[in-house]
Amino acid sequence: MKGTAVPEIVRFAAENTTSVGDVLGLGADQRTRWARGLLPRGPVDGTVFYAGEMYPVMGYAEGAFRALKRLEGLMDINSLAKAGPIMRKLGIYTVGTKALWGRINERYEKGLRDAIYVLKNLGIEVGYLFEDEPPSGVALHTYGLLREFKEHAEWVHQRLRELGVKRVITLDPIVATAFRLYYPEFVEGWDVEALLFVEVVAREMARRGVRLRLGREVKITYHDPCYLARTLGVVDEVRFILSRIDGVKYVEPPRHGVNTGCSGDGGLELTQPPLARKVSYERIEELKSTGAEMVFTSCPACIMMLRTGFDSVGVNISVEDLASLVAEAMRNGIEEAMPEEPRFSRYRVFPPSPKPKSLELKDLAEMLEWETDKCKKCGFCNVECPTAKALDRLESRSARGRMTLINSLVKGDPVRPKAVLDRLYSCVLCGQCSQACPVGLHVQELIVYGRAYAIYSGKAGVT
Amino acid sequence: MGFSQAISEISKKIGREKVLTEPEDVYAYSLDASTEFKQAPGAVVRASSEEDVRVVLEVADRERVPVVPRGSGTSLTGAPVPTSPESIVLDLTPMNRVEVNVDDGYVMAEAGATVLEVDKACREFGFFFPPDPASSRVATIGGALAENAGGLRGAKFGVMKNWVLAMEVYLAGGRKLRIGEPVYKWRWGPDLLSLFIGSEGTLGVITRAWLKIYPLPEKVVRVMGTFDRLEDAGSAISQVRRRGYVPMMLELLDRETIEIVNEVLGYGVEVAEAMVVADVDGPREAVWRMAGEVEQVMKESGGRTRASDDPEEMQQLYLARQGAYAAVTRAYPGVLLEDITVPLSKLMIALRELEKLRKEYGLRMPVFGHAGDGNLHPTICFDPRDEEQLRKAKEMFVKIGRLAVELGGAISGEHGIGLAKKELFLEEIKAVRGEGYLEVVRRIKELLDPNGIMNPGKLWF
Ligand SMILES: Cc1cc2nc3c(=O)[nH]c(=O)nc-3n(C[C@H](O)[C@H](O)[C@H](O)COP(=O)(O)OP(=O)(O)OC[C@H]3O[C@@H](n4cnc5c(N)ncnc54)[C@H](O)[C@@H]3O)c2cc1C
Ligand code: SF4
Ligand code: SF4
Repeated sequence: MKGTAVPEIVRFAAENTTSVGDVLGLGADQRTRWARGLLPRGPVDGTVFYAGEMYPVMGYAEGAFRALKRLEGLMDINSLAKAGPIMRKLGIYTVGTKALWGRINERYEKGLRDAIYVLKNLGIEVGYLFEDEPPSGVALHTYGLLREFKEHAEWVHQRLRELGVKRVITLDPIVATAFRLYYPEFVEGWDVEALLFVEVVAREMARRGVRLRLGREVKITYHDPCYLARTLGVVDEVRFILSRIDGVKYVEPPRHGVNTGCSGDGGLELTQPPLARKVSYERIEELKSTGAEMVFTSCPACIMMLRTGFDSVGVNISVEDLASLVAEAMRNGIEEAMPEEPRFSRYRVFPPSPKPKSLELKDLAEMLEWETDKCKKCGFCNVECPTAKALDRLESRSARGRMTLINSLVKGDPVRPKAVLDRLYSCVLCGQCSQACPVGLHVQELIVYGRAYAIYSGKAGVT
Repeated sequence: MGFSQAISEISKKIGREKVLTEPEDVYAYSLDASTEFKQAPGAVVRASSEEDVRVVLEVADRERVPVVPRGSGTSLTGAPVPTSPESIVLDLTPMNRVEVNVDDGYVMAEAGATVLEVDKACREFGFFFPPDPASSRVATIGGALAENAGGLRGAKFGVMKNWVLAMEVYLAGGRKLRIGEPVYKWRWGPDLLSLFIGSEGTLGVITRAWLKIYPLPEKVVRVMGTFDRLEDAGSAISQVRRRGYVPMMLELLDRETIEIVNEVLGYGVEVAEAMVVADVDGPREAVWRMAGEVEQVMKESGGRTRASDDPEEMQQLYLARQGAYAAVTRAYPGVLLEDITVPLSKLMIALRELEKLRKEYGLRMPVFGHAGDGNLHPTICFDPRDEEQLRKAKEMFVKIGRLAVELGGAISGEHGIGLAKKELFLEEIKAVRGEGYLEVVRRIKELLDPNGIMNPGKLWF
């Protein structure tokens, strides 16, 4: 990765993921402490709870994100990323970050523990791999480091096999997307089932006719994470769970389900935090407009963006994982009354993924040229593109503009890989573009492949 | 002097952040929805105020730098694509304020607001903005005026031209012209509004417009008829009009359109030689009677009909028309979307001639369009990697244009001329109107844009 167009912060996150096991490189102790004494080591019946490389350390990312706001103008994210390894060499990285942001992280650890509480009380037995849990490496995919992702994913598959894992249950829809959609494409013979917490819980609640009581009336709304709703098509489960909790007054936000709006993450929070913040405002306003007292969601990155977002506009609305709401209600007991056959749709929004013959430059170029040549420049994808909206419809950071730039890059127009990568990195991978595209392009996946092409073609000096 | 001088002066005057010169920013503005023409400008200026527009036009005129106004770049003719690298693309999308004045019956929109945003703003008050190009969610008011765009509701409500009360325009050099008044009647001539409508950015930059609004129809009933013979569909359309019905929408699709939509999108629309879809609007008490009469006319012409006012079923009846663009663009990497208009009485002749062309060239060409106003979109499908197909497609494109002229129609009903139809356009003008006409227009151009900086190379300039 050294000497390529990859920015410092992406290198930092990627190297941490593969060598330390979490995005911030905090180490196994930090990453697994939430589960101590809570879960047995190793799979139970082939099943593990999979925390992933983000959720258990998301509070540190939130801390850094908040600090960055204060440092605005003084230090950008890439300089901050440079400080990490230096601090680590000095032996003060983990201690330092823990002292600074350990408290913030406790809220995320609670989300994980609440999920385990719910699973256990529904009689769903899971184990945990602790420090053996291999990181999914989804960030490698997100940032277009596809060759590294492939290599890593193959290793993960082997590790999971060795550890006897057949099924994972996770709270994080981003890692679930990796396991469900990317792994089958990149790893031959991938055979690990990845289930989402809400799927497992909804199914079990339906089957047993579970009814819960919150013991208070609360008006809430739910933010559908793009990865969960639009990408994986999981929507109905959430509504079902909410309908089975007495005391919940549920209000849908204007955009919801597969038409949800982006809260500003998708990797952008790491590469271009000020733009991520800007993107989040529309969603924050929308969620606020529901009049809800609390916002629930099911993605660690969305939680982070919404928590910091509400704070930054001075609105006091708490944002929690849906697991915490279910756990709270479950603490008042479980009634079993109306069993029913679980029936939840799996929505399909996107066209099939584009497939290059290999990850060699020429094959990437051939696929990208063919696909982006099909783009008719109608601009339908730009209408809801959150980054285009946040930037007053700036073409080069819009969905259509990105298709044009990828096409220019592979065709040899005088555009520079590093600068194109910067435009491609400004995308949150929400998929609203693909949803609107009449031609049926898988726009955000082309953006990921475009990132790969820019990285592998853009050696230092060529930038 | 020249281009770089102009750019640095503009940056200084309006702020560097509004002036894009990095290749990765300007290349994003190198195309439009024709995808046929490509040229990146040397700079893009993102105008957020009238003063920005004025400065650009003043400096560019002095330095003789071409200025290409741009809305959302959905033109299908290359109109917003620069013709030289040392051009400025003037992006008006940041200017997008919309204000509805229900009492006075108009909406004021800045050039960069989208047509749909304008329509939505009106709907909050129980009104709407009738022109509805299929691109309305993307296309801007400035672009729609500069192209005199029309849409599905054109059968009843006409095109952009019919809805403008007043405009503000900036000319090369930076002078501002305020044309018309935001009232329903004013009469001093000559009417300069029409001069700028359809001018494709070659005469000046439209910065805002005052547009008429219309009360939302109380109720709409959709009537759909399928026909075993094209002639029958044609006679249904002309009978509907002859008997004095003016449906809000009156669309025609041929067999090939229905087949492609079914093939590509997997819809199960009944295949027939032709389909006609009409939206009949009116007061709640009367609309079903009117729809019934339209249905009756279709039946008399041999159509099998269905009618509904249920939103979901209405959607079903419209499925094949709605999916047409998506289906052809999904199935074919190369698509040439024609846009001819013929007198209604010649609609059937046109359709038959198109059928002959299709057979002669052996390329697929679904035909759909706004039959209510004689505007057809024969859509030539081909593989651009195949040189033979590419050549055939281009030849067909020209022949279709000529066909329209021969039948007393026009080579473009709504998409405009741009670069794609420039030669055909000159052919049409010379054949029908003669050199004298050209001369008059040239003089107008010289008067308004003596240095020829406004969108050079487009239309006849
Ligand atoms: C899928 C699709 C469907 C379409 N359907 C229709 C349809 O049903 N009916 C129809 O009429 N058209 C249709 N079009 C064509 C196109 O959308 C219209 O011509 C539209 O009005 C262009 O608007 P724009 O903002 O994209 O303008 P652009 O493409 O950016 O510009 C078009 C022309 O207008 C000029 N221009 C733009 N803004 C200004 C301004 N403020 N002042 C002066 N000149 C300006 C430009 O220089 C250029 O010459 C369709 C296009 C697509 C891609
Ligand atoms: S919607 Fe699809 S075809 Fe249209 S501009 Fe976007 S990517 Fe291209
Ligand atoms: S390009 Fe597509 S995926 Fe990326 S931010 Fe825009 S709409 Fe979302």
